[in-house]
Formats: sequence, structure tokens, C-alpha cells
Amino acid sequence: MKILVPVKQVAIIDEDCEIRDDGKNVDVDFLDYEINEWDNYSWELALNLQETYGEDVEIVPLTVGPDEADDVLLNCLAKGGERGIRVWDDALVDSDSFAIAQVIAKVAEHENADYVLTGTLSSDYSFAATGMCVAGLLNWAHAAVVSKVDITPDAQQITVNRELEAGIEEEITVESPAVLSIQLGINEPRYASLRGIKQAKAKPIEVMSHKDFGLTDAEVGEIGSLSKVRKMYAPELSQAELIEGTVAEQAKRIAEIVKELKGGA
Amino acid sequence: MINPEHDAQVVTRIVQQDFPLWMSVTFYLAAFVSTAIFFYGCYIQVRKYKRGQPFSLTHIKKGIVDMIKDLLSHRTLRRRDHSAGLMHALIFFSFVLLFIGTVTITLDYDILRPITGRMIFWYGEFYLWFSFVLDIAGLAFAIGLLYMMYRRKWMALPKLNYARSDRTQEEPDYDRSWYRFEDWLFLWNLVIIMITGYVLEADRLVWLQDDPTVWDYRWWSPVGTLFAEAMKSMYLTSEGAESFRYFLWWFHALTAFLFVSLLPFTKAKHIFTALVSLVVRNRRSPARLPITDATAESIGIRSITDFNWKQLLHTDACTKCGRCHEACPANASGFPLSPRDMILSLRELSNNTLQKIKIPEAPLLNVVGDGVNQIRPETLWSCRTCGACQEICPVGIEHVPMMVDIRRALIEEGEMDPAVQTALQNLQKKGNSIGENKRKRAAWTKKLDFDIKDARKEPVDLLWFVGDYASLDPRYQKVCQSFARILRTSGVDFGILFESEMSAGNDVRRVGEEGLFEYLAENNIETLADCDFNRIVTTDPHSFNTLKNEYSELGGNYDVLHATQLVRQMLTDSQIPLARTLSKRVTYHDSCHLGRLNKEYDAPREVLGSIGVEIVEMPRNRDNAFCCGAGGGRIWTPDPIEIEKPSEIRMKEAASIEGIEAFVVNCPKCMNMFEDAVKSTGSDDKLKVIEIIELVENCLVDEVQPL
Repeated sequence: MKILVPVKQVAIIDEDCEIRDDGKNVDVDFLDYEINEWDNYSWELALNLQETYGEDVEIVPLTVGPDEADDVLLNCLAKGGERGIRVWDDALVDSDSFAIAQVIAKVAEHENADYVLTGTLSSDYSFAATGMCVAGLLNWAHAAVVSKVDITPDAQQITVNRELEAGIEEEITVESPAVLSIQLGINEPRYASLRGIKQAKAKPIEVMSHKDFGLTDAEVGEIGSLSKVRKMYAPELSQAELIEGTVAEQAKRIAEIVKELKGGA
Repeated sequence: MINPEHDAQVVTRIVQQDFPLWMSVTFYLAAFVSTAIFFYGCYIQVRKYKRGQPFSLTHIKKGIVDMIKDLLSHRTLRRRDHSAGLMHALIFFSFVLLFIGTVTITLDYDILRPITGRMIFWYGEFYLWFSFVLDIAGLAFAIGLLYMMYRRKWMALPKLNYARSDRTQEEPDYDRSWYRFEDWLFLWNLVIIMITGYVLEADRLVWLQDDPTVWDYRWWSPVGTLFAEAMKSMYLTSEGAESFRYFLWWFHALTAFLFVSLLPFTKAKHIFTALVSLVVRNRRSPARLPITDATAESIGIRSITDFNWKQLLHTDACTKCGRCHEACPANASGFPLSPRDMILSLRELSNNTLQKIKIPEAPLLNVVGDGVNQIRPETLWSCRTCGACQEICPVGIEHVPMMVDIRRALIEEGEMDPAVQTALQNLQKKGNSIGENKRKRAAWTKKLDFDIKDARKEPVDLLWFVGDYASLDPRYQKVCQSFARILRTSGVDFGILFESEMSAGNDVRRVGEEGLFEYLAENNIETLADCDFNRIVTTDPHSFNTLKNEYSELGGNYDVLHATQLVRQMLTDSQIPLARTLSKRVTYHDSCHLGRLNKEYDAPREVLGSIGVEIVEMPRNRDNAFCCGAGGGRIWTPDPIEIEKPSEIRMKEAASIEGIEAFVVNCPKCMNMFEDAVKSTGSDDKLKVIEIIELVENCLVDEVQPL
């Protein structure tokens, strides 16, 4: 059984960041990078399967990103797995979820994967679409926001719990092969020690281009995306009012505000 | 003193007097067997230590000199328990004298006499003084042993209570009855040897009462003679005494042989193991943990054979005195950790596995686990690395590095409290354990009405390494602002590293994440290498400890001061313009990392004295100060709600002092813990928690500011 786990290096921003000159993204000076939190859980799921079934399972982390994205692969390999894959090409800049999914789908085919485990969404762009696009492109069964799953090698079908609102779960049967996007809390991701990360550098990371999988430049990047960023901006902040005074005075002011809002509505 | 009518040569004791040949031969055979068993026992022990990892000793000479000083002064035993120290000294020195006595006799009687045909020195005046000294030694021995029996049986000392904090009563290794049996066996064996020795001596005197070369000099053995007179007063005759003699003689000999044979198998082995332990002890630990090769294949202790021979020896040196058990703050709060029980479990584990002919299979050698004599993770995670255990151990056992070594393996396996994991991940990503963005690190400086120099860009005289909690904890940020104002007002040329500063890594190392410690240290060293400064100062004792003691192994050699050391120096040089002095009565808390680990007890006290503050000492102060509970990663881990935390225990200790208005600290972590504890113990109407720097700053201004 082979499990491909796409992981993403996401950007983190401060409160006092600035938008870059072309108005389409945050100025790179204000960006820090880390592994997408959801991907810790999907990788942990893969690690657990590897530990349970041993040689029958191969788990491979994959990322689409430039050189710095090797960090997230090392983070994964520090915990387990024998090799990683990174796909990058300048043509991949500004790819949306769909374009990225094109790449992931090709890698999944190339690797003969049985399952693709993604995170439910990524914390920077939050589209929650990449996993499902991969499923669509591969024409595989899929389930999103997975909170519980039992995968056994050679299983034709698996039972999956999905997390819905208000603490309700949905239990569904999914045929394999399948793409599952994993939700937080499905397990407890282990710690990647600095030593582990250093030792992971000895594990091979294959760096490829989308072209190696038969994709043209037109199928990726801004051209190949189904959506593109028009503008990125910080919304106008409204002022907060601190209501001071005695309890009676505060109550009076609150009542005034309520009346204003009701009257205004 | 010898009667001129007596030939001095015959004023002696005839060894094995009137023994038939077969009896002498039997005696030497028994001695041989007993000694063989002794050496066999020693061989088993040495083979056990060699089954651990190699370890090369440095400073052997200094170690031996220190050990001799320890032994002669008995300083490690007298601390915090004067009577035990004194009584042990009586036992120790008299035992040594008696042993030297036996060796002396053996030398002259068994070696020189067969060669030369006569006794060379053991007769006449020498013999008389010899007898006297040893009789008194025996008395001292008796007093010491009897006191120890009284202490063990009747004083009900908490530290001699073998009840375990890390096991429940139903568990098989909770039972400590073998230890108690062994303790009493040891004492009784020695007492019986001593009593039979005197009775035998007295018996000989009664038997030989008609021989003037014996009887005339009997008072040179005063104790024996008292026994002899008593026996005579009970109508024992010379013939009667003679008839008992062989029995008494052999009884004494056999109990002595029993002691010698059993020595390497029982508590008596501490005679050797404690001695060597004191020679090999690393006095820089736990301030400076032994460096490890973080690039090695595997790190940390998983199997008992991963310990080196020094560590295995340490576990054998323990005499179950319980001082560490009593000193441990985790133990006092009810955590499942007793340093004593951890060391004893390791000892039992190594005895059960490494004393056999073949070493058992790997799983049986595992140090961490739920089984008998294994250490549980929660025991290890309870430790605050405060060093109180190591500080007071009379035989030099190093509990903390051994504990950290096992933690390293747990960290590698990813087995840790989730809160610790989060803190480590924050440190990996953001360089601080709190998880705050790097850019916020110097936000506290914005409240000042002056700019602090950026040490990364300009040369400074003093580089102030601020630290995580100092930079980011809201309460302590005020202390940083105070310190900045003191330095500014005093005209000091200082700067900070702003957001390039990362956590110094002291606690990361003590949690066991050696790779992360190296990462943080290497980053800081690289940042500092680009700066131009003379000295480093910090208000944070944890940063102080690692910068001063541990960074040198990674290439960072600096002249590091704690803020109180700097302030003391500045006050002495009148560099700080004091507008006034305070008149407050406070108590002062020695933090573990500044105090016990780095022995700086005086600088803060002198600073407080210079500004007019009167200190009423805590009941447990200086090297005996009780930890606030934040070390070893515990500041990141929430304590169980129902227990009384170390900081609360300490705060109650402070609140019991009359007439003080403040609890003075010198550390951001202590401040954090005690600000909580002063409220949770309801002491906040009585005591304020104040940092020593804040008190100094209060003297810079003329108007009375409420503090």
C-alpha cells in the first residue's frame, strides 16, 4: 500500500504586515514560513499506518514549493518515511488550488499511490479545495474533513467519519483508492526533534519539475489556475469604544448604544 | 612505663596463644576463604560497571584531593545533620584505626616475624599505646553505632522513611523490607564484632590474670579491663575464662569474616563506592551538564548499559540516607519523584541484570517502563532540575545529569507532555517558548522614554542578554524597564540584541532536547560573534547559567554577569546615583540557577544591604533554598490542580516570617511562579513579590513611589 501525503509550507503573517507594491500579496519581508498545521495530522496518520503495517506500507511526503519548502519535507522525514518529493518550477508561481492539484494528481499516478492524504485546508489561503481537486482529477472517491478512519492494506472499502457542525459526525463508506482530507484532532502529531530533522537531511528528496510529469506550463501557474488573485488588502478597522465610569454610567451608555444600533437597523 | 623487671619483648599479646596447629591452619583457611569471597564480590561489582559505557576521567588528582578533604572533615555528612555527621565520623575514624590496628598486627606477626624470627615492633611501649588507642577507638565505634541504632529506630526521621512516592502500595517494588533488613544487619554485625571484641579481650585478661606481664598493664586496655573486672566480680576464674576463650575467639573471628565476605554484596560496599564516587564526581554539574554528541547515532539512555561506569558506580554509592528525598521540591509537592528512589531503582535494575554471568536480552535492560525497578516517564518529567538533590548528597551522586540523559531518549521518541511539545515547537519556530512573534521580543523597550542601543549595529561595553520570560512576561517587563533605567541613569554603555536574540536554551537542554539547545546556542553565538562588546549581563539566572557554563563548549566564551553582580559592583564604585535608601524589612529567595547552581548568594544580599533593605532569611536559604518549581520545563507544564505546588509551599514558608513586607526574587521564572502563589495562598495582603532590581530603581528617585 502506498500513501502519498502532500504537505504545504504555509506563510504566517504579523498584525503589522504590509501589502507589496502590486497589491496582490503581503510583502515578503513580513512573511515567515512553517508547515501547515493540518498536514501534521495527515502525516501522523500515515506514520501510524506505517508503524502498524510495517513493510506493507510506504509513505511519501510531497510538496510543491521552492527550495525553502524542503523544510516541511525534513519536518516529516524527521518523524518517519524514507524519501520525499518536491516539485518546483518557476512556471508554478501563483498556482491556485486547482493548478497545484494538477501536479499532485500526476505525482499520485506516477507513484501508483493507493491513498492521498491531504489536510482539510491550509492556514494561509484556506480554500480547502486542493484535496478535492486532486480527487476530481484522478476520478477517485473522496471524503473531506475526516475525523476518523481505519485504513487497512488491500481494503476495497474503508469507513470514514467526517466532522460536521455542532459536534455531529457523519459515517460514510469510501471505496479505495481515495483522497482524504484530514481534520485537526484525528490524532496527536508527534514531536520532530532538531536531531531528527538534522538526521532527516540524509534521506533523499527528489526534486522534479511539473514537466517531468507531462504537464505543460499552460496547465499550471496563473495561466493554468481556475481562479486568480485580483487584490489583497487589510479591511478597514472599526474603532472599539472603552466604556468607563460607574456601573450605573456604563449601563446607561450600553443602553444608548443598543438604541442607536436598533434605531439604525 | 614498662616495669624494669619485665622484658619488654614479652609485654605483648601472643597471637593465637596456645592454639593447636590444626586450629591455626583452620583460621588461615577461613581467612583465605573469606577474603576470596570478598574479592569475588568486588570482581562482580567491577564487571558490572565495565558493562556500562566507557568514561574517561579528567582531574583525577583534584578528585582524590577533594575526596580526602571530604573524608577528613566529614563536611558532606555534617551539612544539615550535625549529629549524623559527628556520629558517622566516630564510626569512620575508629573503624579506620581498628583496621590499621589489624594490619599492623598482621604485618608484624604474619610477615616480619616468620622472616626475621621475632616480633619487630609490636611489643613493649608501642604495644601499650597501641592497646590504649584502639580500646578508645572501639568505644567511639560503640557510641557511634549505638547512636545510629537509636536514630534509625526511635527518631522517626522523615528522610529515613523508605515509603516511595513513585509507586503505590500494591506494587511489588514498593516493598522495602529487604533494605531495612540490610540496614539492621549491617549495624548489628558491627555491634556484635565490637562487643565480642571487648568480651574476648576481657576474657583473655581474666584468663591471664596470674601473668604479671599481662595483668600489670591491663589498664592500658581500659574498656576491656572494665569488662574483665565485671566478669571477675561475677566470680569468673582464670580456668573459667580459659574454657570460654576458644568459643569467644572464633565467634569474634567469624562475625568479622562474615562482615568482610558480605561487604561487596551489601550496604557495607559504600566504604568503597562512596569513596570512588566522591573522587569522580563532577562538581560543575548540574550547572554545567556534560556535553553530548548530538550528531551521534542515538542519544539518551534507553538501556541500563547506556549509562557509563561512573553513573553505574554512583547508583551503588547511595546509602539511602534520604537527604535528597527530603530536599526535592517535586517530592514535597506530592509528585511521583524521589531522587533517592530513582537512583535506587537504577541500582536494582543494574544489579538484577548486570551481575549475572551473561547480560540478559535487551527489553529487560530498559530503563524506562512500567515494570519493577523501571523508571516511569511521569517520574522523570516531575523533576525541576533544581539540583537540591545533588547539592546535599554526601557521596556525590549526580542525579540531574542522569535524569536529563534519560529524558533525551524520551524526547527522541516524542514522549513528552503536550505542553512541553508546544513550547519546544515554539522555540523551534520563534526562538521563544511562549510562542510570541520574534518581532515582539523587544516590545518592552517601547515603554521607555529613551532608545536602547542596538548591539548588533554598534559597539557597546555591556551587552544585555534579556531572555524569553524577561522580554515577554508582562509582569517582568517592568523589571526590564527598571533595569534599563538604572543602566541609563548610571551612564552605562549598553545594548541588546532586539529580535535577533533567541532563548539561551538552558531549560531546553534540561528538558532533553539537545539538538534544539545546540540550534539555539549556535544561533546566539553567531549573532554575538558579529557584535562588539566586553561583557554580557542578564537579569535571568537561567540564561546566566547556560551562557556562563555551557556555551563555551560550543565556541561561545564570554564574561557573563548576573544583574545583581553588576549592580553590586556599580554600587561599590558609586556608579549608581542613589537618591535615597529604603528602609524595608523583606525576605529574599535564592533562585536555583543563581544560588545553588552558581553559588552566588552574596551579591544580591550585599545589594539589598547597600540600599537599606533588611533581610530576614527564609528558614531554607542559600544552598538549601526551596525551588519555585519552574525549572526543568515545568514552567511550561500546568501542575495538577489539587496538589500544593512548590511555589505555594515556599510562599507559605515566607508568610510564616513575622514583620516583613516583601518577598524579593531575582529571576523572571521565580517572579512568574510566585506572583501566582502569593495570590493562591492568600498571602497577598501580607507580602508583595518584588524583584531586587525594582528595589534598586526605587532608590534612584526622590519622590516616594509606591512599590
